[in-house]
Amino acid sequence: MKRHHPIVRITHWVNAIALTIMIGSGLRIFNAYPAFARRGETFCCNPWEGKEIPDNLTFGGWLGGARNWHFAMMWVLVVNGLVYLAFIYLHGEWKDLVPRRGVFHDSIEMVKFYLTVRKDHPRQGKHNALQRMAYFAMPIVAIAAVVTGVAIWKPVELSPLTTLLGGYAFARYWHFLAMVALVILTLGHIFMVFTVDPYSIPSMITGGYREDLSPEARNARPFVHLLPNSGRSHTSSTPPRR
Amino acid sequence: MKRSPTHLAEQLGIDRRRFLAASGSGLSALLLAACNSQGPEAAQSLLKFAERKNESLERVLFRHTSIDTPPAGAKIAGSQFPSYFVSKEVPVWDEAARGVWRLEVGGMVNKPLQLSLADLASLPRTGYKLDHFCVEGWTAVATRTGVRLSDIAKLAGVQPGAQYVDFQSFDDDYHESWDIDSAMHPQTLIVYAQDGHYLNPSWGAPARVYSPTKLGYKNTKYLTKILFMPLRNGGYWSDKGYEWYGGV
Repeated sequence: MKRHHPIVRITHWVNAIALTIMIGSGLRIFNAYPAFARRGETFCCNPWEGKEIPDNLTFGGWLGGARNWHFAMMWVLVVNGLVYLAFIYLHGEWKDLVPRRGVFHDSIEMVKFYLTVRKDHPRQGKHNALQRMAYFAMPIVAIAAVVTGVAIWKPVELSPLTTLLGGYAFARYWHFLAMVALVILTLGHIFMVFTVDPYSIPSMITGGYREDLSPEARNARPFVHLLPNSGRSHTSSTPPRR
Repeated sequence: MKRSPTHLAEQLGIDRRRFLAASGSGLSALLLAACNSQGPEAAQSLLKFAERKNESLERVLFRHTSIDTPPAGAKIAGSQFPSYFVSKEVPVWDEAARGVWRLEVGGMVNKPLQLSLADLASLPRTGYKLDHFCVEGWTAVATRTGVRLSDIAKLAGVQPGAQYVDFQSFDDDYHESWDIDSAMHPQTLIVYAQDGHYLNPSWGAPARVYSPTKLGYKNTKYLTKILFMPLRNGGYWSDKGYEWYGGV
């Protein structure tokens, strides 16, 4: 069966490329002045004021190159994001992504399962409760990144927005924190894909997905029951592991 | 009726999965081959295209009424205000060799001007506490005192066809050209004093252009000439790859 609509698959990979370039070029821009304080002042909330990001995590070569990439790729990110959000709204996919009632309780059950406090994989639909929260948070954090980005792009022409965010230095700080949140969500996502559900990778390329290989069917937690026939509790003839 | 396969991959007998894998690795090989530290060469024209579109949008966003006001509590940077120039040493106007410094106002004007520092100081004085937005991402607050460029433009009688202004300096070949709208913004000043004192050489003496609507590098220091023009002529940093518009 098809798990992901072509529009979801295309926007996913366009986003992966655009976000990578936005983060890399953004870090290069940050390195030109790796601090938040106004000249002659101190900044309350960054213990690493003045500390640069390692060069090999940056993209664009120099400040001007990075800015040109950042201000071009932002349109790809925004348009792609709008296409994705419009599609999942119109096509109903949002129902699989918006947290349901009891999502916190369900998330705790998932965490218990991953920590082996609980033996059997909680029942789930297309996504488990942790995924729902992460995939719901992603566009919200992305919107925050865009809004804070606009505020530091045009702090004079759009000064009400910049002021609303606490002024230029704080808007730049929120922009940085939004990036950090996007990186954490993305790394968590990639880690879980490879250690829990690598069988979902083809589903984001061709759309096809085998439900009998889902993490729930394999009773899979990170690195555990990765192989197709391990830990199967619902379809195998042997009794489920306690 | 059975349709004959028309898709290229089907004709070649490649299934979709293999096709995607092959095109994926082809794409990354292409990227690596054409990539320097600034990204793929082929992308440069796309980046230029995006810069032009961004400029159009920035010109739409531009308002003569959007005024920069630093927060009341913002500290004046004072001695912490960075000094910047492109010459090997701090550019200082050599009066013995070059005569008395005068700011030339020319190009598409009815009445070209030669303004000495005393002339500038005798024109209507405007001062603001202003943010300075550097392309590098830092900001600094300073009190800028000088003459509105729009006042000087009135004095010189700028002709209607002048769409651009070039700000030239004696800091080697440093110059930057602007759109006329930004140049006529009420906070665009020909500054001769900072924080209550005449500019010192490390801050651009005798005079510089300053506007909070432009990034720092657009604001030429060590001014010699203001040239009203029908066309833009780039700039020191704009030619090196920073965006020409540099709006804030």
